[in-house]
Amino acid sequence: MASGIRDRVVVAGMGCTVFGERWDTGAEVLMVEAFEEALADSGLERGSIEAAWLGVALDDMNVGNSALPLATALRLRNIPVTRVENMCATGTEALRAAVYAVAAGACDVALALGVEKLKDTGYGGLPLRTKGLANDLWMPYGSAPGTFAQLAGAYSARHGIQAEDLKRAMAHVSWKSHQNGALNPKAHLRKAVSIETILNAPLIADPLGLFDCCGVSDGAAAAIVTTPDIARGLGKQDLISVKAIQLSASNGWESQYGEWDGSYVRNTREAATRAYKEAGIADPRSEIGITEVHDCFSVTELVTMEDLGLSDEGRAPFDILDGRFDREGAIPCQIDGGLKCFGHPVGATGLRMAYEVYGQLLGRAGKRQRENIDFGLTHNLGGAPANSVAAVSILGRLD
Amino acid sequence: VAGWDEDAVTLALEAARAPAGKSDKPSIVFASTSAPFRERLQSGILAEALGLPPSCPASDVGGSRRCAVSALRRALTDQGGDVLIAAGERRPTAPGSALQLSWGDGGAAALVADDGVARLVGAATVNVDLVDLYMSQDHPLPYQTEERFIRDEAVKLALLPAVTEACREAGIEPRDVALAVFHEPVSGCYKAVAAACGITAPNLCDRIGEAAGDLGSAHALFGLALALEQAKPGSHILVAAFGSGCDALVLEVTGALADARAASDALSRGAPLANYSRFLSLCGAIDLDWGPRSELEQRTAASVLARHGRDMHGFVGGRDARGNVQFPKTAIPVSPEADGPERLEDVRLADLPAKIVSVTADRLNFTPDPPFHFGLVQFDNGARVSMEFRDVEGLPLKVGDPLRMRFRVKSIDRRRGFRNYFWKAAPLDRPLLEDA
Repeated sequence: MASGIRDRVVVAGMGCTVFGERWDTGAEVLMVEAFEEALADSGLERGSIEAAWLGVALDDMNVGNSALPLATALRLRNIPVTRVENMCATGTEALRAAVYAVAAGACDVALALGVEKLKDTGYGGLPLRTKGLANDLWMPYGSAPGTFAQLAGAYSARHGIQAEDLKRAMAHVSWKSHQNGALNPKAHLRKAVSIETILNAPLIADPLGLFDCCGVSDGAAAAIVTTPDIARGLGKQDLISVKAIQLSASNGWESQYGEWDGSYVRNTREAATRAYKEAGIADPRSEIGITEVHDCFSVTELVTMEDLGLSDEGRAPFDILDGRFDREGAIPCQIDGGLKCFGHPVGATGLRMAYEVYGQLLGRAGKRQRENIDFGLTHNLGGAPANSVAAVSILGRLD
Repeated sequence: VAGWDEDAVTLALEAARAPAGKSDKPSIVFASTSAPFRERLQSGILAEALGLPPSCPASDVGGSRRCAVSALRRALTDQGGDVLIAAGERRPTAPGSALQLSWGDGGAAALVADDGVARLVGAATVNVDLVDLYMSQDHPLPYQTEERFIRDEAVKLALLPAVTEACREAGIEPRDVALAVFHEPVSGCYKAVAAACGITAPNLCDRIGEAAGDLGSAHALFGLALALEQAKPGSHILVAAFGSGCDALVLEVTGALADARAASDALSRGAPLANYSRFLSLCGAIDLDWGPRSELEQRTAASVLARHGRDMHGFVGGRDARGNVQFPKTAIPVSPEADGPERLEDVRLADLPAKIVSVTADRLNFTPDPPFHFGLVQFDNGARVSMEFRDVEGLPLKVGDPLRMRFRVKSIDRRRGFRNYFWKAAPLDRPLLEDA
């Protein structure tokens, strides 16, 4: 039985750019910005990086494919560099690869960097792309909000919740994240928005309105990971350890087999169950201090609260309206503003989430700082609820 | 007006589905003057969409809007086994033209078989190059000549001689015709022919013109379906269609249609369209600015289509060893109990009942007629497919709503002038026009 990666790898340093419409900044410079902050934070020499993973989801829209964009931008010294892509879990995939490399003893210091330059597409929303030549013969071309919006009707049908009541809970999700994002200098959207504005916004995909959807942004984030011994050798006192990183990918069960009712995300449940086990967490509701979940859309965050076991089934709308996941609530969610306010430069998002958890655990979060956090959780959900990749990682102090 | 994703092929297919189910192994004829392809056998696509075998004889006819009636005559006189004639028409017209107001989109089909409900007792053909209107390589939109000239000359040179001869061959007097299906080039022709030869029967094509417009090659077949709905055994139906001449048939009714109200029902359903810009866009008469999101690459790989086209057109999934049905077929089945590759048994999904698992109306992605309705569809036999929803004309769709499948254009690659076909899910019933 595998023993997992818990406490075998620590974060030496992290960096994150300001997210937003970085019209004057290319992906290359975003990578440099994130990396230089992480390198300075780590206290390591530039040449100590032994392997690197680049997370970019949409290579045709920004940096190009392969290792070369990262290796060239950072002038890495002919070390092994690999590009990874796993839809919206891409950033966490880069981190997972770097952490596994160190945990395996293949190298002592590894870099994970995610970047995306979405605002060069020339329009709002994610670019529309082929789903594969055979799939294009039959699969509908739905947008991202279109695929996630379907959670709402299915959730209402399963739990007998009126569409208007669900819409109010969804609005609270976005309202709360805008409250948080307003306090974060690195967020793209730094403005509080009223519930009424959210409820009355134009529809994007029924029942998701404009403010139920996350922003579209440019950004990069990076993590340098190493062994606990090397980190201690750098004189670091508070070591933030990787407790777990788990991933779950659809095999067609949701979209082709007749059991799933469309109201939840199976992969989040699978990945969370394994992550809690790997991290040694028995009761997530009392042990997880903050979460950064994949709030691509408000309804995604809503069902994710149940999928992570932080709300009982059918209760997330009520827990949300009760403020359970607000900044001052029991388990704050998106305390940095989330995808809602950072936008979603796909390759960077998972690492941006880890950056906030890392900062919170080190007490660096300024006005957003929560006290007494032992564990922070990040969650990514790529694809669509019916065909997804979910990643769950847990960071905490080294035992 | 048809939806953006309907064309002569899909309209013909929709009409052909019911009659196709009454024959084991028909040959198939696709009739149209607005076939989307000049080189690509559209009757072959129809055969695949109907689940007919590759050995099914298939041919496309066109050239004039009487092509479907000409094909019907050939099928009735040849001894070549069952023949399914499927006519579809979606003809382009210029904005503001009279034809844009008087023409409609539609499909109709007829099955010729030994155990039919009417038999041919008289037929006549007159070919004459009387150009009442034309569409050409150099002028793709219709150009119409003077209506009074057409009326007078069409009656004299084609319609009256053909009708008279068909009745003579049938051994009946024109006044003995009980119901007329007379597809006239311009109004007034039937009245003139009737006055000249003594026909007193009503022309059922008028009903189609009023409700749906002139359906081109499908018009007379549609009229024949209306006639067979109400004809009494032993009575005679006159079918006459104009287009570079005339084919006239006299049929003696021998039985009753099983689906007795299908044609009338089709004329009574739909949704009113009050937006002329939308109408023009659906007609393809104007090219709107769809924005950069419409610029997605829609190229179809011919090799991929060759591998999967039959299953796509026929909506054929597969049943695994445990009995679970899935679409599309895969080497390793989706069943959680599956433990490696296996061969799946073909299962056609096109005619099976299904329900909505999840749904949305997407206003972000490009579609030629927003919003884009799509979601997960659950078939009663276990298959589950992510699908586009169409014909959302009544109440908003919701989880659990029953669905039926419609053969439609999946995507149009405008850059290369190619189109793909697949099935879309639609509400079980269209709303009644009188309720709108």
